[in-house]
Order: sequence, then structure tokens, then C-alpha cells
Amino acid sequence: MTTQTQTQNVSVNNFEQCLKCSICTVYCPVSAVTPLYPGPKQAGPDGERYRLKNKEFFDEALKMCLNCKRCEVACPNDVHIGDIIQAARIKYSTHKPSLRDMMLANTDFVGTMASPFAPIANPILKLKPMKAVLHGVMKIDKHRTFPDYSSRKFESWFKKEAAPTQDQYSKHVSYFHGCYVNYNYPQLGKDFVKVMNAVGYGVHLLEKEKCCGVALIANGMPKQAKRQGKVNMNSMRKAIAQGHPILTTSSTCTFTMRDEYDHLLGIDNHDVRDSLSLATRFLFQLIEKGEIKLAFNEDYHKRVAYHSACHMERMGWVPYSTRMLRMIPGIDFVMLESQCCGISGTYGFKKENYERSQAIGKGLFDQIDEVNPDCVATDCETCKWQVEMSTGVPVMNPISIIAEALDVETTRKLNNLD
Amino acid sequence: MKFDIIIIGGGLSGLTAGIALAEAGKDVALVSAGQSTLHFTGGTLDLLGCDEQGNYVQKPLEAIETLNSKHPYKKLENVSSLAGVAKKLLERAGIATTGNETSNHWRITPIGGLMPTWLSMEGMSTVEEPNQMPWRKVALVNIINYLDLPTKFLAAGLREKGVEVDVKTVTLPELKELRQSPTEMRSTNIAKVIENNDLIAKLADEVNGVASEGYDMVLLPAVLGVTNGDKSQQLLKLINAPATYVATLPPSVPGVRMQTLLRKRFNALGGTFFTGDQVVEGIFDGNTLKGVKTAKLEDTVLEADNFILATGSFVSRGLVADYNHVYEPALGVDVDDLGLDRKTWAKIDVTEAQPYMEMGVKTDSELHCLCNGAAVNNLYAAGSILNGHNSIKLLDGAGVDMLTALQVVNNIMK
Ligand SMILES: Cc1cc2nc3c(=O)[nH]c(=O)nc-3n(C[C@H](O)[C@H](O)[C@H](O)COP(=O)(O)OP(=O)(O)OC[C@H]3O[C@@H](n4cnc5c(N)ncnc54)[C@H](O)[C@@H]3O)c2cc1C
Ligand code: SF4
Ligand code: SF4
Repeated sequence: MTTQTQTQNVSVNNFEQCLKCSICTVYCPVSAVTPLYPGPKQAGPDGERYRLKNKEFFDEALKMCLNCKRCEVACPNDVHIGDIIQAARIKYSTHKPSLRDMMLANTDFVGTMASPFAPIANPILKLKPMKAVLHGVMKIDKHRTFPDYSSRKFESWFKKEAAPTQDQYSKHVSYFHGCYVNYNYPQLGKDFVKVMNAVGYGVHLLEKEKCCGVALIANGMPKQAKRQGKVNMNSMRKAIAQGHPILTTSSTCTFTMRDEYDHLLGIDNHDVRDSLSLATRFLFQLIEKGEIKLAFNEDYHKRVAYHSACHMERMGWVPYSTRMLRMIPGIDFVMLESQCCGISGTYGFKKENYERSQAIGKGLFDQIDEVNPDCVATDCETCKWQVEMSTGVPVMNPISIIAEALDVETTRKLNNLD
Repeated sequence: MKFDIIIIGGGLSGLTAGIALAEAGKDVALVSAGQSTLHFTGGTLDLLGCDEQGNYVQKPLEAIETLNSKHPYKKLENVSSLAGVAKKLLERAGIATTGNETSNHWRITPIGGLMPTWLSMEGMSTVEEPNQMPWRKVALVNIINYLDLPTKFLAAGLREKGVEVDVKTVTLPELKELRQSPTEMRSTNIAKVIENNDLIAKLADEVNGVASEGYDMVLLPAVLGVTNGDKSQQLLKLINAPATYVATLPPSVPGVRMQTLLRKRFNALGGTFFTGDQVVEGIFDGNTLKGVKTAKLEDTVLEADNFILATGSFVSRGLVADYNHVYEPALGVDVDDLGLDRKTWAKIDVTEAQPYMEMGVKTDSELHCLCNGAAVNNLYAAGSILNGHNSIKLLDGAGVDMLTALQVVNNIMK
């Protein structure tokens, strides 16, 4: 009876486990740069006690939370502080997303519109008058450099150039490329295909892929996020039925679909979650089991500084990527102190957040200056924009670095492909 | 994933072991579920402050001889030399300390008491002799609306010792702004506001303004230097009178700094840190631990030749109590519950020595953990998870953490 009482006494998001130790407040990047944000302890478990009594206690300042989850990583008592905050926003916020927020959040819609016009859209987005319009009318900060839109979507490239040869492999994976690879940086998708093919895996796209919805959640559009999430889960179920693991090259998409779908959006993903993984993790596990081998070019040299993206850190998967990178003999590896870069998806694009966003990232930028690497490696695409814009140092996904260093011929031989 | 050694728990004990092993060229992984109790410590490290009768100790090495045989120090080969190694390890991580193992000095507690201690981080306020306060007149300068420095207690405590104390307050426009969110007027946020906006000189001006003349010591809350000690030293240098820091209530800036610097050192030595992940299961083969599973790595097993359990005491969930038992949740190793009935685990009077504080995992003479009574030949325990001592009563917390960690490292390297 007593044991029963104790084990059943578990609160939503562990909020009653909070010991009030205040450790989380040390690691919140937002409360460090603005006094207007109540901080993780107050916004999270402390505030929740009040909100449970009366929703009037809900504070719209909670929208300043980046949902970076650094507070959760720091909490010794496994309180899901970030989840408590996001769930409160979903439940209580009466704030309606503006046109700007809707635009920023609908990454795939905007991408679809921009891609065909990329040669026009890219220069226009860089023009001063356009930036002034974005800044003044749309409230998108003028200091931001927009990621370029690619004139050819990854999906189009894949269908024409890669798809026809994928069935020759005996093993297969499905690839959730995400909006960024599709519209802004198809090269990462190409790198992924190159690496997977070299170790004997054919790559396939999902029947239907929608934006994972991370930006929709952040911008207060959980319903649309849920609709998109369901589409993704259904496509993934079909891929799993064919025996395909599903891989991504984005830590944030992975985290959102594995954890936030269930925790925040109430999407049942239990049958998909285990099959959904990050490419570096998948490769590392295969290498460990001795199922694949990689060979690298002997003349490859690069000084690489690894930045732990917030959601990568939250998933606890940083070592998969760092140990993969450290396998490459020509890499001079430096681990950066884990800090938020400040962009947090669409957050840093907003005029009202720009300065805060840069202040948050300053510690990281200073570290990068000091280390002076040839490139920064990170598993998150929005970190790439932020770090490149703020430091001028190129940022690469670990998969792209692996692809660059890979000796394809020898790798194929090692994996008995030729 | 395979390593030479896996350490479970990233507090003072786990990090000490991790750094020592990485310095010896081992491939080390550290798994830690959240941040550690270093965030509550006051910038000083205790070796042994009290003997078992409750008397303050001046010469810790001598007093250690008198401890009962269950105390973790009794499993150390050479306390004095390990203590020296610990101090040097901190130094290499960028943590300069004063003090040594032959004689305790005294730290000022946030409520104005004096406690014997072993090492104090640079800039912390300490005295050599408890009965002879070195200051006649002190200015205690707090930041307006900073609530985690109980100035009334502090002043009263110092006055009791014959020191004249003036309590003063200062602020800066940027700090006033921070006050808009009263819950966030905390040490580490104050530190970030001052350090990131280059306000140290301005703050020094303010302090000099209220404590200009006639003070032989200015005491300040330890709210500077989150990432390294430079900024906190810089402020002290700019103050006209001699100035030092007193510990605040948590989160403690010197504690956070120690944690950060140790972790940086571990990373720089090539250690692999599994942040925010929890070991949930051990895979045993007879008396050998083959690997551990964690909450977030799911099907990936972390394998190693040797393992160190440094998951802390109850406060860090290294030990867990339910209504009937005390157990070790990560690997399920044997716990010494002192054979006490549930009702006698704790004393009603919180100021009394609490029996549960002496509970902890059982180990053999080489600090191997036991499983069903048998030693696990490649699993060691270190730090506050060990049984046989009460760190609140004996004031031996950091000493036990660091020295047992270093002993385990020696045992592994043998
Ligand atoms: C409030 C307070 C104030 C103190 N002040 C002082 C002081 O001023 N001076 C002094 O000398 N000593 C002080 N101490 C004592 C001393 O600091 C602690 O005993 C010491 O820091 C404990 O270190 P540790 O490494 O053994 O454990 P901890 O610091 O408790 O670290 C254990 C770590 O392991 C993690 N962990 C737990 N379970 C798992 C798991 N299953 N898997 C992975 N990780 C896990 C925890 O999250 C935690 O990060 C204080 C202690 C407390 C509680
Ligand atoms: S770190 Fe966790 S336990 Fe501590 S105050 Fe924050 S939520 Fe509560
Ligand atoms: S999720 Fe990030 S921004 Fe939000 S409270 Fe936690 S640490 Fe702060």
C-alpha cells in the first residue's frame, strides 16, 4: 500500500520532483541576458503551482523561453522544466501569432514559394530596402542574413540524380531531410546519400514529408504542428513496415519528432520513436557492431571545433557525433564548452529578439574566435546560420565532414560493394 | 560504446577521478544526470573540520587517525600525499586555492559563523585563528535587493566576535534593471550582468564610495567569476581597502566556477561527457560489470574495463529512500542502511547528527562495490555515496570526494 502510494505519486513532467535547488537558473541563456524573463524555476515548476490553481497566473513573458532545454539538462531531479513551460504556453496563451510569426514558422510553405525564385529571392533578401521592409513591416531583424534558398530543391535533385540507383543496394534507410536540406542546403542531403551509399545502404525519401513543426510549436501554432506531425508519423510507419530505419541529419527535427510530439503535442509516436535516429548515431552503432567500415583520405586535414546544439545535448547524443568525428585521422578535434548560440530556430530572426539572441551567443562566438578552427561542426542547421553570420567561420554538419574526408573507393571495397 | 573507464556521476568526486585518469592517458567517459552539489558549496573544500566528539579540528591529518574504522579515509593509503595531489589537480584546472592539509584555516559561513576548512578558492574570506579576528572594523557591502546574502546574520555573527561591522549597499543601473524580475536577482545572473557589460570598474567605484576609509576589510558577496576567477580578482584589486568574498546561499558562484573549470579540464584532456543522462542499469557477468545502460542512449551499452560509481548521496539521487528501504538505484549495489528501523533513520531535531547521513554503499578495503555481499572486481565507489561518515557532522565532504576518487584511480592504475 505504502509503496503503491509512493510510486503513483508522479506528477506531470515531474514538476513535484523540484527541490527548489535553483541550479536550473544558472544555465538559462535567456534570464542571463534579460530581466524580463522569469527564468526556468519561476516560469517552470514554481509558476506551475500557481497556474494549476488559477490560469490568471499565466505570464505571456513565457514566450521568451527558447525551449532550448538547457535547464532540463542541468536539473539534477529530472524536472521537465522546458516541457512545463511549453505546455503552459499551449494551454494558456491567448497570444495570436502575427503574420511574421506565421511566415517564419511555416518553413516548408515559404521554402516552396522561394525555391523556384531563388536566383531572385536570394539577392532580394539581401538588399537593403528589402531588409528595411522586413525589419519595419515584418519585424524580421535587418541584421540577419537569410539563409540562401537553393534554386533546386533537394527532393528534385534526389528524384533525378539519386533515386534511380538506390535499389541496387541490399540494405535501405529512409531519409527525413527536413526543410533546411530541401530548400536551403541540399548539399547536406547529397553528402548523406554519398556516405550511406558508400557503406552499402540505399536511401529513400518518405512518401510524404512535412516540416517537423518545431517552429510552429515555438510560434504558438500547436494545432498545425500536430497535423503535420501526424502526416510524418504515418509516412514513417510505412517506411518502417518496409524495414527501413528512418534517419535525419538534424538534431532538432529528430528531437521534436521523438520527444516533443509525444510530450507536447500528444501525438502517439511510440511505434516510430525507436526507428527514428540521427545519421551519425546510426553509423556509429553500425561501426561498433562491425557491420560497416569507413576509410578516410590520408591527406585530409582540418581543425574542427564541435558545438553541442541545445537539442542534441538534450537528447544526450553529442558523443555519437564527436566520437564519429574523432575517428577521422586527419581531424584536429576541439570540444567547445556547451553553450546556446542564441538563434533557437526562428527566435533570433525576430526584431525584438535580435540583440538578446546575439548576447546569448556571445560566449560561444568568443570561444570560437579563440580556438580559431577551420570549421565548426554541429548537428543543427539553425546554429549553422547563427555561427556563420556571427563569426564568419564555416559551419558543417558532421555528416558533411565525414563525406568530405571519406575515401569512397576504399570504403566501398571494405564494405564488399565492388 | 567502449571506453577504458566509465565514471557515473559528474560532481566533485567523479570529475576528480575523470581528470586524474584522463591525465594518465586513459579514454574516460563521464555520465551525469544533471548538475552536482558543487553548486551549493561555498568556494571552500573541507578535509576534516570536526572529530567524532564534535570538537573543531586544527590539525586534520592527526584527527583523521582517531576516526573510527568505517570512515572512508581508512581506505586511503596515504591521506597526506593524496591531499597534496588533489590541490595540484585543482590548480591545473585553473582553480587556485590557499590552505593545505597540515593545518585547517577558518571560513566564514553565510550566517556569520566560522568553520574549519582545508582549501579556499582564491579571494574567499578566511581567518587563521578563530579566537583572534584579524579585523577591527569591517564594511559588509551587499548589492541592493540581492537576497541570498543574509547580511543581518553575518553582521551579528561577526559582531559577536568583537568586530565592528557597517552594513552598506550598492547598486548599478544595470542591476536595477535586473531587479525587474525579483526571482532572477540571483548570484549567477548578477555575475553575468556585471561581467558581460564590463561593469567591474563601475562596481568598484560604488564600493569605494561607501567603504572609503577606516575599514581594514571589505566583505563582498561572492557573485563574480562564473567561468573563471579573473573577474572576481579584478574587482578585489580595484577596491581601496583589502577586500574578500563571503559565500552566499545557492547557487554559489565559486561552486559553479569550480564545476565549470573541472569540466573544461576534463573536456580539454579528451574526456567524453554524457551530459544530462542517467545510468539506469548495470550488465553484470558474475562479479564483473560489463557495461551500463542509460536513459537516453537506449540500446547503446556503455562498456569499459573499469567503472566508478560517484553518484552522490540522497540529494543527488545517488541513494534513494522509499517507505521501507534505502537503495542504490543505478546499479543496485549493496547499501549499508546501518540496520536501523525506518523510524530511527532521522532525528526530529534537524540540528542533531542525522543517522541517514552515514548510510551509503558498502565497499571492500579497495573501494570495490559489493553486490549481494561479493565484491565486483571492476566497480569502485567514490565520494559522498560511500557509507561510514556524516559530512555535515565531520565537515569532511570535499575531502572524502576528492581523496577517495584519487585512491580509486590509484587502485585502477595498479
Ligand atoms: C547544500 C550542501 C552544501 C555543501 N557545502 C560544502 C562546503 O561548503 N564545503 C565542502 O567541503 N563540502 C560541502 N558539501 C559537501 C560536498 O560538496 C558534497 O559532499 C560533494 O560535492 C559531493 O560530491 P559527489 O561527487 O560525491 O556527488 P554529487 O556532487 O552529489 O554528484 C553526483 C552526480 O551524479 C549524478 N547522478 C546521480 N545518479 C546518477 C545516475 N544514475 N546516472 C548518472 N549520474 C547520476 C547527479 O546528478 C550528480 O550530478 C555540501 C553539500 C551540500 C549538499
Ligand atoms: S534545477 Fe530542477 S530541482 Fe532545482 S530548482 Fe530547477 S527544476 Fe527545481
Ligand atoms: S528551455 Fe532554455 S530558455 Fe527556456 S527556461 Fe529552460 S533554459 Fe531558459
